[in-house]
Amino acid sequence: MAELTAAQIDNTVLDTLAAPSKTYWGIVGLLGVGVMIGLMCWGYQIVVGIGVGGQNNPVAWGTYLINFVFWVGIAHSGTLISAILYLFRAGWRNPIARAAETMTVFAVCTAGLFPLIHVGRVWVVYYMLPYPNQRTLWPNFQSPLVFDVVAISTYLTVSAMFWYTGMLPDLAIIRDRATGNRKKIFSILCLGWSGRLEQWRHYTRIYLFFAALATPLVISVHSVVSWDFALGVIPGWHSTVFAPYFVAGAIHSGLAMVVTLMIPLRKLFKYEKIITMGVLENVAKTIVFTGLIVGYAYGVEYFLAWYSGNSVEQESFMWRAVGEYKIEFWIMVICNSIVPLLFFIKKIRTSIPWLLIICIMVNIGMWYERFVIIAGSVAHDFIPHAWGYYAPTLTEFGIMLGAFCLFFFLFILFVKHMPSISMTEMKEHLHAGGNDAG
Amino acid sequence: MDRRTFLKLAGIGSLSFAAGCSDPEKTIYSLVKAPDDMVTGQAKWYATTCRECPAGCGVLVKNREGRVIKIEGNPLHPINKGKVCIRGQAALQGVYNPGRLKSPILKTENGLQNISFSDAENLLSEKFSIAKISGSGRIKMMTEVVSRPLYQIFDHIMTTYGADAPTVFEPFAYESLKTANEMVFGIDGLFSYKMEQSDFLISFGADFLDTWLSPVEYTIKFKEMHGVRNGKKGRFVHISPSQTLTAANADTWIPCNIDDETIVALGLIREMIVWGKGETLDKSLLGNLQSIADPYTIQKVSEQTGISERLISGISESLVKSRHPLVLGSGNSFNGERSLETCIASNLLNLLLNPDLSQLDFNERYRVETAARRSEIYNFFNEVSEDKTNLLLLNNVNPVFTLPKQSGVQKALKNKSVFVVCFSNFMDETSAKADMVIPVAMPLESWDVYESTSKVITTLQPAMKPLYGDPQIGDLLIRSSFKDVTETEFYKTEVIRSLVKKGSISTELQWLNMVRNGGLYNVPENKASFSKKLSKKIFDVLLLDRKETTIPLSLAIMPSVRFFDGRGANRPWLSEIPDPLTKVVWQAPVLMHPETVKRNNLKHGDMTAIETDNGLVEAIVYETAGIKENVLGISMRRDHTIDGQFIEDKEDSIFSLLSANIENLSGGPISHARVISIKKAKSSEPLAHTDGSRLQHDRKIAMAMPFSQYSNSQDHKKTHGGSGLSMHEFPLTLPIPEGYDAHRDIYPSHEHENYRWAMVVDLDRCVGCAACMGACYAENNIGIAGKRQIINGREMSWVRVERYLDPEDNKKVIFLPMMCQHCDAAPCESVCPVYAPHHSKEGLNNQIYNRCIGTRFCSQNCPYKVRRFNWFGWKWPYPLNLQLNPDVTARSKGVMEKCSFCIQRIKEAHTTAKREKRKIKDGEVIPACAQTCPSDVFTFGNLMDPESRVSKLVSDKRAYQVMGYLNTKPAVIYLKKILNEI
Repeated sequence: MAELTAAQIDNTVLDTLAAPSKTYWGIVGLLGVGVMIGLMCWGYQIVVGIGVGGQNNPVAWGTYLINFVFWVGIAHSGTLISAILYLFRAGWRNPIARAAETMTVFAVCTAGLFPLIHVGRVWVVYYMLPYPNQRTLWPNFQSPLVFDVVAISTYLTVSAMFWYTGMLPDLAIIRDRATGNRKKIFSILCLGWSGRLEQWRHYTRIYLFFAALATPLVISVHSVVSWDFALGVIPGWHSTVFAPYFVAGAIHSGLAMVVTLMIPLRKLFKYEKIITMGVLENVAKTIVFTGLIVGYAYGVEYFLAWYSGNSVEQESFMWRAVGEYKIEFWIMVICNSIVPLLFFIKKIRTSIPWLLIICIMVNIGMWYERFVIIAGSVAHDFIPHAWGYYAPTLTEFGIMLGAFCLFFFLFILFVKHMPSISMTEMKEHLHAGGNDAG
Repeated sequence: MDRRTFLKLAGIGSLSFAAGCSDPEKTIYSLVKAPDDMVTGQAKWYATTCRECPAGCGVLVKNREGRVIKIEGNPLHPINKGKVCIRGQAALQGVYNPGRLKSPILKTENGLQNISFSDAENLLSEKFSIAKISGSGRIKMMTEVVSRPLYQIFDHIMTTYGADAPTVFEPFAYESLKTANEMVFGIDGLFSYKMEQSDFLISFGADFLDTWLSPVEYTIKFKEMHGVRNGKKGRFVHISPSQTLTAANADTWIPCNIDDETIVALGLIREMIVWGKGETLDKSLLGNLQSIADPYTIQKVSEQTGISERLISGISESLVKSRHPLVLGSGNSFNGERSLETCIASNLLNLLLNPDLSQLDFNERYRVETAARRSEIYNFFNEVSEDKTNLLLLNNVNPVFTLPKQSGVQKALKNKSVFVVCFSNFMDETSAKADMVIPVAMPLESWDVYESTSKVITTLQPAMKPLYGDPQIGDLLIRSSFKDVTETEFYKTEVIRSLVKKGSISTELQWLNMVRNGGLYNVPENKASFSKKLSKKIFDVLLLDRKETTIPLSLAIMPSVRFFDGRGANRPWLSEIPDPLTKVVWQAPVLMHPETVKRNNLKHGDMTAIETDNGLVEAIVYETAGIKENVLGISMRRDHTIDGQFIEDKEDSIFSLLSANIENLSGGPISHARVISIKKAKSSEPLAHTDGSRLQHDRKIAMAMPFSQYSNSQDHKKTHGGSGLSMHEFPLTLPIPEGYDAHRDIYPSHEHENYRWAMVVDLDRCVGCAACMGACYAENNIGIAGKRQIINGREMSWVRVERYLDPEDNKKVIFLPMMCQHCDAAPCESVCPVYAPHHSKEGLNNQIYNRCIGTRFCSQNCPYKVRRFNWFGWKWPYPLNLQLNPDVTARSKGVMEKCSFCIQRIKEAHTTAKREKRKIKDGEVIPACAQTCPSDVFTFGNLMDPESRVSKLVSDKRAYQVMGYLNTKPAVIYLKKILNEI
């Protein structure tokens, strides 16, 4: 990084904001079509009923909640990178912090749609909110779903504010160089940033406070999501290991998603000098770590099932590995805890194709982990007479496609119109040396 | 635009927008002229008779605002004692079937044409006149089993036109049983059995819990004998090729090949004679019998049938030891060449074991005995084909479906010179071939009587006006056939007159009383005389040299507990509610022994094409140990659409696989055929079943205990009161404060006001017949999901009968009715974000539909998986919607539902009790399932009342809670089944 200068950083980042090509708009358009397909599927489901999906009795939760947990998981590493690593002064997080935070915000947005898509009567979903009403009815604060509402909305609020605050100085840089309407827009967006000393002092303090505030949220949000399951009585859900297991899994998937996004970004925006191989390597090392935790959690689940002496629990876990969903189970185990071990090899973790392939595999594996837990556990729970299996339908795939398109749609719009790398932090980094995170 | 214009436009705009959104069908019309006794919101009950099968059970029909909405048994009725089977419950869906014909249909050159009832009547009388002009005897009539007065009218008409008496057709005519009764007891008919007095029952294929004679009556009698009472319990052995519902309830079910029952029966006769039974019999008879039975040693029987010697000698020992054994022959299922012999042998066994025949009630005869033998039916159609007939009247029979192709029925109906009139409410295989179909009032809309047995004359009265104004068949025929002869008269008058003539009643008032009670239950009996002098013919039959033809594989067409002979198949509930044993809905798979499946390179769920000598059928393989290896079984199925519409393009019915051969001596049909080939079919369809695993994986769900343990244990304290919380030892934790234990519970018990509703389910009494499910569907407006959605796993039943097999012996079955357990520590309640599952102050786990947003968390967290989600807005195609119970919400899409313990009935009892300023009495609230259950499995009541029946039953040492180790404290307490094997 030594060869970088402040001007180069500004130029490289601001170059990405040049007028987009037709291909870009073509891709945005395609993604928009994908979003519309998802919306249409959702509309169809609202009109006809949840039955257009594949959920049934006993598997009443399907891809909607799988995707919900998946996206909440993705949302994790953004804040991990920008807040926790910030507090730990891990300097290598600076080049990817902005993109990771953006990913967080959009992933939470996408995740937040799924509970709405999932419920049977979305038109009365506001019953979940604690609003004063003549019936004097309040939500059931015992229910993990109400925890979810609180946790996810808090997380979205805090991570969005953190993200936006961090962007202020950069927005001002864009304002300074822009003309016309663009200048007007960015003048408003940067909230009158002038770069005075007091502003910088407040800014750095507030950024630190946000980082401190966001850090516990990283742990809490996915712990709360895990309680959706851990507080249930169902074998395969009812386990105290769930909170740490889910948090580790979330970070695992989030990091993999960061790499998946960074590699194309780096290539297209010529960020090679900023997002260096060293940065990617560090992420890959962290993936090895989270992968090991996840693998350990899988082992613990089996140990607990055996140690509990509870034959329902034992049968349920045995069935996971050899039953109807065995393919999903083995995809999960191999992609999440075996394949990432390849990153122990330096050649692999410094090779762009390998990084991309393995990270995509982790993403797939983490999706299947949620499938195995959410659909697999209830498919085979207490009453053998009620056992039944679930497979998603076209409508569900349509909605899933819509969700992925929505995420990339927002992300692509962002990287082309907003600074996708924090110029401020990069410059501070330049100034303070490699080991300081801002 | 000024302010006023804006307001006007906005007002018009929003109003028209609001009006545009409203549903026009929600208009309520008031009844301008209401019937005298109609009070809106109050049900009227009419006593009448169920005519879904020939048994003739008395029912009370609930009428709300002019529509019948529920059928319950008439408690005064001696046949069914207030209970109704699943088919009876579904009679409503006959009345409200979307496929029900609205007007007569005439076949013309331009296809089918709707005509008015008066046109049909005129045309009919015209045809009568033409037949009269053409000469005498040009009319033929075939009818279902009908009452004596109605038959007399038919007969009178036929006599007037110089024709033969009408032929009564019933697919199950019990020819072999009738003939055997004639040969052994000199009674050519079907009499009743006092099963409740017996302590040991052997049935040779008599499926008395399925379809045999009078299923509700025998379910009640069977449980009186077989349910544990005062430390006693009868034993039941069933011998048949396939495990029917009856066989599944036997203490020991012995699979045998078709016709091998005879060998077992003869073997038992030999044993009984060896043990010295039958000494009171005539010496020469006994000698004859001995010589016939002599070759059938235990070894030989075992050799020929494959049944172990130990089992046969065990049975004969138990037979000898028992004080009141009873042996039943079948006559309606697995009819083979030797059915008659089996029936004769069964009768002889009764004679040997009970020389006074105290358990056979010769004075009580079933109406179905009037049905003609199959041979006569075939003759009937042959005569029709022979051009001697101008007019053929078919009253509510479907011979084209129920008779084999070679029977000549199709040929007879195709005969151009015969004008075929079908009195039928539906387009079915037969009415589709008729020249004119005249729908007539259905039994729930008619005046009539019915002689369920010779001791019972039960009345039919219209529980509602005929839905489409259909005339009654009696009235219609009197009017059209006697148009020029006599004055027009009503059939109802004729019924009363015939009763008076017979001396059953003497005044009009007595008729009114009779109608109010639902019938006359003490008809003076004519003592039937039976001769103990056996007809010599029996020895000829038994000595008949049967060709030893071993059929490698035969296909048996079996009566269905849901569809009877297939007639119920258009009632959506009957298709939707799973078959008790296979748990398959909307399909009739072919039952196959695992060995047979393997031998033919098939697997469970494959679609196969099975070819017999007579036809080809496609069916899905259902692998089960519940059938003999050399036998395939398909129940009497019929294809219908989900809303009860008849599918015409199915040319070959299931009966076309059979030959038109008959057993010569009894004139009965053969209900199985030789299988030529079984191949995997090209088409495929997933099996629509509602069960997951057939085994309970040792999870303490449906529990049982051996009889010895039950009767020997002197300790009458709670043996279930284990202290642990492991899966193997857990206490009975009642959902009342006593059930709470500070060591185990974080939260204190719920506080209840006066009542804590609970239910006791006695597994020892449950036969698995699914009548409870039928009642629940009818009472609680449960949606019909249909085949496609059940394949997707979306059945909606609130109560289901779980069927589990013994992992050591797959032939042993245990049934467990499972519904919402109304737990005190309910896992569903805590997880709902909006309090839609709500614990009421009377302990009910209420589901508040309006509050539910459909997260489905409750269902996910329910360990009993009893919650049902409305995946769609279920449809009740007109007029099925008229059956909906106005006291129960019809749920919309997106909400969760489940068993409510029939809260509408609890509320009604509350209203009554409050009005009378008292508390609800024990037994005042009876949920629909408990009301209809023929074997009294369910007891419902208040657990806070120490005197209530439920409070007493929970101290039974058999009491336990399903998966009690979860500590959910269910309010449904089960009593273990008692095993009493040989």
